[in-house]
Amino acid sequence: MRAWLLSLALFFLASAHAVPDLSQAVRERLQQVPVLRGEFEQQKQVQGFAKPLVSRGSFVVARERGVLWQTRTPFASQLRLTRDEIVATQNGAVAFRLDAGKEPAVRVINSLMFALLNGDLSGLAEHFKIEGTTEGKGWALQLTPRQAALAKLMSRVELGGDQHVRSIRIDEANGDKTVIRFSAQSSEPAKLTVDEAARFD
Amino acid sequence: MRLPALTSVSPQGRRESASAPPGGSKKPRGGPSVFLARIWLVVVLAIVVHLAWLLIGGRLQLDTDVLAMLPQDERQPAVQQATRALADAASRRVVVLVGGRDWDSARRAADAYAASIAPAPVELRYRVGDEAAGQWLGFFEPYRGQLLTAAQRRQLETAAPAQLAQAAVEQLYRPMAMPRIGSWAADPLNLFAGWLSERAADSRVRVTEGRLSITEGERHYALLMLELKDSGFSMSAQQALIPQLERAREAALQAAPGLDVFNVGVPLHAAAAANQAEREVHTIGAGSLLGIIVLTLFAFKAIRPRLLVTLSIAIGLAAAVSVSSLLFERLHMITLVFGASLVGVAENYGSNYFSSRSGRPFSERFAMLAEQGPVMWLAMLTTAIGYALLALTPFPGLRQIAVFSVVGLLAAFVTTLWWFPFLDRGEMPLTAFSRWLGSRRALWPALGRNRFTLLFALVVAGVLAGGALRLQANDDIRMLQNSPPALIVQQRAVSALLDLPSPAQFYLVRGASEEEVLQREEALKARLVPLGVQAQAVSDWLPSQVAQVRDAALLASVNAAVLDEARPLLGEAIPAPGLRAFKPLLPADWLASATSEPLRHQWLGPFEQGHASVVLLRGVNDLARLPGLAALAASLPGVQWVDKVGEVSAVMARTRQLMAGVIAASYLLVFAALSWRFGARAWRALVPTLLASALALALLGLFGQPLQLFNVLALLLILGMGVDYGIFLLEQPGRAALRPFLSVSLAAVSTLLAFGLLALSATPALRAFGLTMLLGIALAWLLTPLFLPAEKH
Repeated sequence: MRAWLLSLALFFLASAHAVPDLSQAVRERLQQVPVLRGEFEQQKQVQGFAKPLVSRGSFVVARERGVLWQTRTPFASQLRLTRDEIVATQNGAVAFRLDAGKEPAVRVINSLMFALLNGDLSGLAEHFKIEGTTEGKGWALQLTPRQAALAKLMSRVELGGDQHVRSIRIDEANGDKTVIRFSAQSSEPAKLTVDEAARFD
Repeated sequence: MRLPALTSVSPQGRRESASAPPGGSKKPRGGPSVFLARIWLVVVLAIVVHLAWLLIGGRLQLDTDVLAMLPQDERQPAVQQATRALADAASRRVVVLVGGRDWDSARRAADAYAASIAPAPVELRYRVGDEAAGQWLGFFEPYRGQLLTAAQRRQLETAAPAQLAQAAVEQLYRPMAMPRIGSWAADPLNLFAGWLSERAADSRVRVTEGRLSITEGERHYALLMLELKDSGFSMSAQQALIPQLERAREAALQAAPGLDVFNVGVPLHAAAAANQAEREVHTIGAGSLLGIIVLTLFAFKAIRPRLLVTLSIAIGLAAAVSVSSLLFERLHMITLVFGASLVGVAENYGSNYFSSRSGRPFSERFAMLAEQGPVMWLAMLTTAIGYALLALTPFPGLRQIAVFSVVGLLAAFVTTLWWFPFLDRGEMPLTAFSRWLGSRRALWPALGRNRFTLLFALVVAGVLAGGALRLQANDDIRMLQNSPPALIVQQRAVSALLDLPSPAQFYLVRGASEEEVLQREEALKARLVPLGVQAQAVSDWLPSQVAQVRDAALLASVNAAVLDEARPLLGEAIPAPGLRAFKPLLPADWLASATSEPLRHQWLGPFEQGHASVVLLRGVNDLARLPGLAALAASLPGVQWVDKVGEVSAVMARTRQLMAGVIAASYLLVFAALSWRFGARAWRALVPTLLASALALALLGLFGQPLQLFNVLALLLILGMGVDYGIFLLEQPGRAALRPFLSVSLAAVSTLLAFGLLALSATPALRAFGLTMLLGIALAWLLTPLFLPAEKH
């Protein structure tokens, strides 16, 4: 039973191998904010599918709470990642739930998702070898998993952005490729609105 | 060693001693003959050789588990076998958790621990290669089309295909979904990942950086599992492991100071129990030996009597161990403790010999023995009666004690009777101390029509009434467990971290074939779901073939329907995947694979005429739910509820009640034997002991001690010893007679030293036993002189 974890597996990892110059340069450009919201467009190329699957919606990343991923098209659904669980809902009904008490990897998945959306370099450095370049206000990073366990899920991740993360590309080990573009990002108000907070509960 | 054997010997012995010459003839004709002494020498030599073979070869197997000593549940051998199988698996395993705030230091410390423990004779499981995970996935992958969790099956059976298709598509759009194994079309609902994830959730153990690990909130632990290579019952192996674990722990703490290191496992408890017992036997043994030697020196001014009495006891113990190990597979520690109690009884014969001898010329020893012989035989017989009845009970545990005790007693007795006159040398004047002690008898008033009797009766009645009101039986087996608190704290912490199912209660599932066992497990689990009880069963991993066929059909039809519904939603012409040929997952394959390791001990395999398995439960913390779970088994064929704790406690209670019956019967038989010798006076030898036993119980009640098996067992010994006091005193009831009271007092003090110190033991069973003995023997000694007939002036 302990074994399958490898496939769920995102684990606590070796100490960060610092890339001081690059991370310093990216940090100078990136805004670290308590709450970030915006719009996304996700294109997912699934093995065996002719066309990419395109979805659009909005997201909220809150340092204290986690991540809300709200898809509007092609259909409405929501994914919520908090410290203690991952919950997917569709039409108000729970389609999927994973509990951190049962599956400790939940915490890691969520911290990883948070780090990706927020461009949290120290969080990412735990899991990935980071290479990259900066140009003017922009930057681009290529991430390679440090751990065999993680490499079984994702072969490579690319991040790009300026004061916010503007795009993420994830190459999954099974051949699926996901590209997410962000727009209309805003960190104001700096606190969750009542409506947003309610959606986290 | 049964009662008939003793009675057939007894008349002969009596005749022989009775026909011994009255004077101090050098060569005894009847009585103890040189011939008998030689025969006994041959027997003793054989015993010594056998014992040496046992001890030097390390062939003597000891059991320290209190539960193992308790009577087996005679009605349910299958349950015992199942319990034993589960316990055996646990008895060799030590679980080590090394953890702290961050994984790095936990890993560093655990690596140091692993390196330090490597030379020990244990199998270590800690590092797990990447390929292990591959094997795991690889093993089940060919069967993925026929594996469903109960929740998945319900979902597929009840939900409409359109609804399922929507869920499948939703998953596809999720930015972070459950990782998919294989193509989407083959498993659009990703059920295989769900099945694997439920299996993974059975255990909280994960693999981190190629090491077993557990995460609890913010704390990270590395997990090391050690398995003793030897049989877990080898106490030397268990005890040798402790310092190695301690060194490894230190190595871990040196690598990363301030971490938690938890060591738990049955071997640790067993070693702790054995160490404690050893320590106690040493201090108690040394204390009582010293006291007894000092006392004998005072009483006889010679070391020889002490040496000879010790010799008789040593031969008694040696014979007991030798014969018991021939008859029983393993000797239990509690048997040995009882054996140690033989010291107290066997002491009576030797003490009586020397008390009778002292102050008489050396040459009169055969005459003295001829005179004392019948009394000693009677004393021996009354004690043996109790043990012989114990041997007739249907409980193997008690039988072992009975055999051990009767053999030991008889050997010590025979040594006294047949060897002492030959080994005894020189004159033994009655010492001043002996005179003083013997004459204390005169201080006792006789019961009769006097104020003392009235006062005595009032006090006795008061204590008995008070005790009867307070005394409560409590047979809860948990009272008998006494592991060091530090071990229990660690045990709790580790159990909580690992979230292990409870081994105390489980279902035993039996069937004619492996398939039937699995089907019955599934039927049981279906009934447990509505009760909200989480089961851990082999069939979670290895569904019955009926279930596999049914799930394969369900999956194939649902997948096809979902694909049909999903195509328009996705706008894709996804080809249906090729059908795979059904290949059943068979028990033999599962058992042979590494994936079965965590649950293999629950699969009992061939069992009696069929097959059997154990279904464990998790999170049943409310004892009030147990009756409901027990009732469930009644309506399911082949399923039996086993509540080990409850059952053992019930067996303890039954044994205690049975013992009470044995003791009552013993009193009757002893009374018959006494009447045969003392006629109408017989009650004077028996009533003091009866009263002493009753008062001892009453006092226990007043002290707030519960009544349990070990108190009752002590009552049997009190009968055996106390009646001896009555016999020796009643034989020469005169107030002026020094020797009987000297003999009885020496015997009583020896017994009190041995058992009184046992009352200080930290082992609850021994403490209960020792305390009862302490009270009972002291009272029997105190009361017996009161019941002697008043002298006519």
